Amino acid sequence: MTFTALLAKELRSHLRRERFVWVIIIYLLIMGLLGFGYLQRQNAFSPGYQSYVLSQIGAQLYALLSLVQLFLIVFIAPAFTSTAINGEKERQTFDLLLCSKLSAFSLLAGKLIAGLVNVLLLIAASIPLFSLVFFFGGVAPTQILSTIVVFVMTAIVAATFSLFCSTILHRPTVSTAVAYTFCVLWMFSYWIVYFLIGSPLLSNSRLSVWIQWLNVSNPISALNSIVSGIQAGAVSFSLFRLPFAPWVAFTLVCLMLTIVFFLLSIVFVKPNPLGRFLSWLRFLDKKFRPSTL
Amino acid sequence: MIKIQHIYKRYRSVHALEDLNLEIPQGAIYGLIGPNGAGKTTLLRILGALIPPTAGQVWFDNEEITQSPAAIQRKVGYMPDFFGVYPDLTSAEYLEFYAGIHGISRSKRPSTIADLLELVDLTSKRDALVETLSRGMKQRLCLARALIHDPDVLLLDEPASGFDTRARMEFRELLRTLQGMGKTIVISSHILLELAEMCSDIAIIRAGQLLMAGDVEHVTHNLSGGPRIELRVLERAADARQLLKDMPEISTIMDENDVGEVIKVGFTGDDQALYRILAALMAHDIPVVSFAPHRTIDRLEEVYMSITEGVSSL
Repeated sequence: MTFTALLAKELRSHLRRERFVWVIIIYLLIMGLLGFGYLQRQNAFSPGYQSYVLSQIGAQLYALLSLVQLFLIVFIAPAFTSTAINGEKERQTFDLLLCSKLSAFSLLAGKLIAGLVNVLLLIAASIPLFSLVFFFGGVAPTQILSTIVVFVMTAIVAATFSLFCSTILHRPTVSTAVAYTFCVLWMFSYWIVYFLIGSPLLSNSRLSVWIQWLNVSNPISALNSIVSGIQAGAVSFSLFRLPFAPWVAFTLVCLMLTIVFFLLSIVFVKPNPLGRFLSWLRFLDKKFRPSTL
Repeated sequence: MIKIQHIYKRYRSVHALEDLNLEIPQGAIYGLIGPNGAGKTTLLRILGALIPPTAGQVWFDNEEITQSPAAIQRKVGYMPDFFGVYPDLTSAEYLEFYAGIHGISRSKRPSTIADLLELVDLTSKRDALVETLSRGMKQRLCLARALIHDPDVLLLDEPASGFDTRARMEFRELLRTLQGMGKTIVISSHILLELAEMCSDIAIIRAGQLLMAGDVEHVTHNLSGGPRIELRVLERAADARQLLKDMPEISTIMDENDVGEVIKVGFTGDDQALYRILAALMAHDIPVVSFAPHRTIDRLEEVYMSITEGVSSL
């Protein structure tokens, strides 16, 4: 009940702001203009193309729109959660939340889901634009579904890490900057490391394992594997000695990262984490201590 | 009854509270007075189980605050010195949110919100966005928010700052209504006269230490030596001083060796005693041009300034 009250309040606050309408408009304009520009460049509107050429155009349009969407998600998701907790502290409303029955879990889950709902709304708003691809063909329904999974997981990790930043950092500007830095590094870390280390050192097996992990956790790699048609059983990542399609491996890594960042946020969101941990231990001790009678 | 026993609070090298002991009777309106940085807000936050004390204990009846902070928070309504409002919500939505996170059932919320808005006289602003409310209205809305879960104890941190005279009087009436409902109210302020008029008891805190505590009259009397009369004569000031010195109603004569025309005396007694003093002066043809009795409560500001001298955080 406390969780739904927080979620309702957050959604009311976000959706009432004029800024949110402009975010949707600009988001769709950017995607639409880039898609339209690409089609114009390929002369896709001229008659006489053979179907296999059209399907190629469709696949490339899909790849372009997906990449743009991915960058927009990474750009927008932190904006909704990177000031969620320290913003409350700055407004001096955090104490009032602490005085309520709101648990650390409910507080963070409410904030996270409210932030994610905004991002999911943007993804949903872009679906009609993506449907342009079906005029040309060349994209399988499974590709579309797996792409949406990558979008959603990317949004969840970006939002959860931003929430974690807002929990441990006092200043909203600092937490926003740290969250965006993480997102940029997350998106490009694989290529940065690859170019910094260089291919000769990659033959070192220990390093190559780390590079593989970076690749698995990279949203661009996951998206690339989908749009280039790599599915499970073809080229796959071996995670815990099990073969997975790259986007599935990416999803699992994202889930792990989400759980870690969310649990860390739970630990740090309320004051005196050590004291709370000790009182929890005392509670367990009292509950499970054998009766002396 | 709230018992505060040997409370210390330290923030690194800063000692916010030092060995503070206090007893707050049930149903009291208890005022905490002190200059900025005295530790009033820290004490209120400890009472609200928002921060733990570095050492010492706080008891709410039989519950110790650090042992069961969640239980204490259910008993306490806290109103910070800042509004703490969400501007995008209406007054009713704001209260509904806090009702929800305090676990009040959906069916009970509309009536609770309507009652509280009526109590703080904001029924007409039910659907107004919080950002459009005046400062005084926001303060009252915050008070309604602090009352949403019907707490036994209200902790109000500088609640009347920014109120105009009318709003202050209305707020005072509201506090009395809440006291009548059996609530214990702990209120901090640096507007001393107002606090003395509102409260049944006060505690004066300076640099984290308790200087004095008790009922308002007792505290001010102890500090100031009781009420005082300030009078001015045209001439024969020495005769006037001698006459006043012999009167049983006069407890002290300040600046006894002074020969100035302004005479300050401490007195004990009621309005009849005041009349006898004035009548005696007139009977001896002493030309009194002004005769100004100061009640103890009127002198609170003066007393407060003298005891907190040099500790302002400014």
